[in-house]
Amino acid sequence: MAQAVLPQPVQRLINELSRLPGVGPKSAARLTFYLLRTADEQALDLAQALQDLIERTQFCSTCFNITEEDPCLICQDAGRDQSILCVVEEPLDVLAIERSRAFNGRYHVLHGAISPVEGVGPEDLRVAELVERVEQGKFRELILATNPTLEGESTSLYIQRRLAREGLRITRLARGLPVGGDLEYTDEITLSRAMEGRQEL
Amino acid sequence: MLAYQLVYFVLLMHITRLSLTNFRNYGRLELDLPVGPSLIHGNNAQGKTNLLEAVYYLATTKSPHADQDQQLINWVAMQAEEPVIVGRLVAQISTSQGVKTIEMRLIYERSQSLRNGRGSFRREALVDKRKVRLMDLLGHLRVVMFLPEDVQLITGSPRQRRRYLDITLCQIDPLYCRTLSNYNKVLEQRNALLRQIAEGQSSRAMLPIYTEKLVKLGSRVLVRRARFVDELAREVHRIHYEALTEGRETVRLHYLPGLWHNKPGNNDTDTNGKGWAAWWQTHSQDEAAVAERFDEAVETSFAADLARGATSVGPHRDDWQFLLNGRSLSSYGSRGQQRTAILALKMAEINWMTGQTGEVPILLLDEVVAELDAQRRALLLDYVKDANQAFLTATDPAMFSLDFLRNASSFLVENGRVQLDTGQIGFS
Repeated sequence: MAQAVLPQPVQRLINELSRLPGVGPKSAARLTFYLLRTADEQALDLAQALQDLIERTQFCSTCFNITEEDPCLICQDAGRDQSILCVVEEPLDVLAIERSRAFNGRYHVLHGAISPVEGVGPEDLRVAELVERVEQGKFRELILATNPTLEGESTSLYIQRRLAREGLRITRLARGLPVGGDLEYTDEITLSRAMEGRQEL
Repeated sequence: MLAYQLVYFVLLMHITRLSLTNFRNYGRLELDLPVGPSLIHGNNAQGKTNLLEAVYYLATTKSPHADQDQQLINWVAMQAEEPVIVGRLVAQISTSQGVKTIEMRLIYERSQSLRNGRGSFRREALVDKRKVRLMDLLGHLRVVMFLPEDVQLITGSPRQRRRYLDITLCQIDPLYCRTLSNYNKVLEQRNALLRQIAEGQSSRAMLPIYTEKLVKLGSRVLVRRARFVDELAREVHRIHYEALTEGRETVRLHYLPGLWHNKPGNNDTDTNGKGWAAWWQTHSQDEAAVAERFDEAVETSFAADLARGATSVGPHRDDWQFLLNGRSLSSYGSRGQQRTAILALKMAEINWMTGQTGEVPILLLDEVVAELDAQRRALLLDYVKDANQAFLTATDPAMFSLDFLRNASSFLVENGRVQLDTGQIGFS
């Protein structure tokens, strides 16, 4: 068999790499042999980076974003608005909103969206922790910034139903036209949502 | 006259060039296509039908036969380990808005989860070389296809009849197509949730959210389908009565919304039996009323749904039927009567699409001309003559009139190769 020719460490790395999303056995083999031929430090740097990734990161115990120290920098930052909370699906969503510089409150990362088909229910997400945070009553507004998909919207609706109470404003991001986009190339549903959500000039 | 026709043709929707790679029995095909009718002839199993299917697939993103998408590929490079594009269909089309290229790629991926390498297919759609969602391919080409097995629409399963409604409607109504696709997603989620609730793995807290979406999207689907069947029914009746049976028989299309008819245990006396039909007649275009009725039906069937782990009411349980002189055509009609009704349906489809878009769709006729008598053949060929473009397959071109052949282009198909006939055909 062809497999027996490869030294076991080589085969093992190929196997590990091919488990990554978007990497097939051929790409995995190419990457493995690239690393074999490259300078030792570069490969070891990669190994170290992987180790640090696991050992030096954790979830923030308040907002469940990925962080090196707990609580995370955003949760520690006293300069941020303590009364407004933005709920997102993934840590990358926090990054996207931070890049926009349009928001200066706190975050809560759910780590997914509700999807019965995939067996994901509210109890599989950080929903209980969100409820607890809100029940402490410091927030004035909750922004539900889940994805505009069926799963994201269902998750938002669920949270909205569970947390609706006196004195808490619950909002969600607007749906509509992309900035710099062309009206003519916008699909019908986006356009009809944009029409529904039109604003006074 | 000819010059005028030419200008008229060039402005309207038609395919100028078709390229196929590994599609059915075509390894590679590049074909320039003329406007007007094209006769595709050759012996059996040479690839005549596959050519029509390629056009149909580009127009609708569906195979003309249910559940056959996987078999579209010419099974060659199937051993590849990386994702590879194994099939490609490209049509260059000319429309009133200019020239466009629409493309469908069939990509084979060895699935990650299954060790033993049984792969799956992913489809990619491109318009003018830009990737778009699959459903954005719809509406660029509009086709009506005639197949010998169309008669199964009458005798076959409700699923086939729903599929027919959806494919036809999606070609001209993108909003319907999006709504239907979202409805199906919600339905899938709701059914999964029902099963989890039944097994005690999930609370009921999420259920109202999915039910609300189901009802909202579902009633839109119901209302749109009802309107479509109504419009189609009028045309079918007229063509059938006036042109096909000379006033001897009346055929009606009857839409059966999936909110009542398949629930024999229903004790809701007001809407049971004949009652629902009257209700539907007056309310089918009132989305709010339909939604209310749908909501009640979901409520009523909740216990049963929980036990089954599936939602038992909604447009996914719709059906429609032909009534011939007031009786079910599938149970009481002869084979000949069924064929006549299908012919009326397809002709009505052409008229409906033309009315909706202002353009005659491209016609694809697979061996259907052979089974018609002379009078109906002439009638059908009138439609063909009026179309900007039509493709007809036939094993024997001699069945067409000389007059028709003079105005048609003709292609010979032999073992996956297609060749334009330059001389006259049908006189061997």
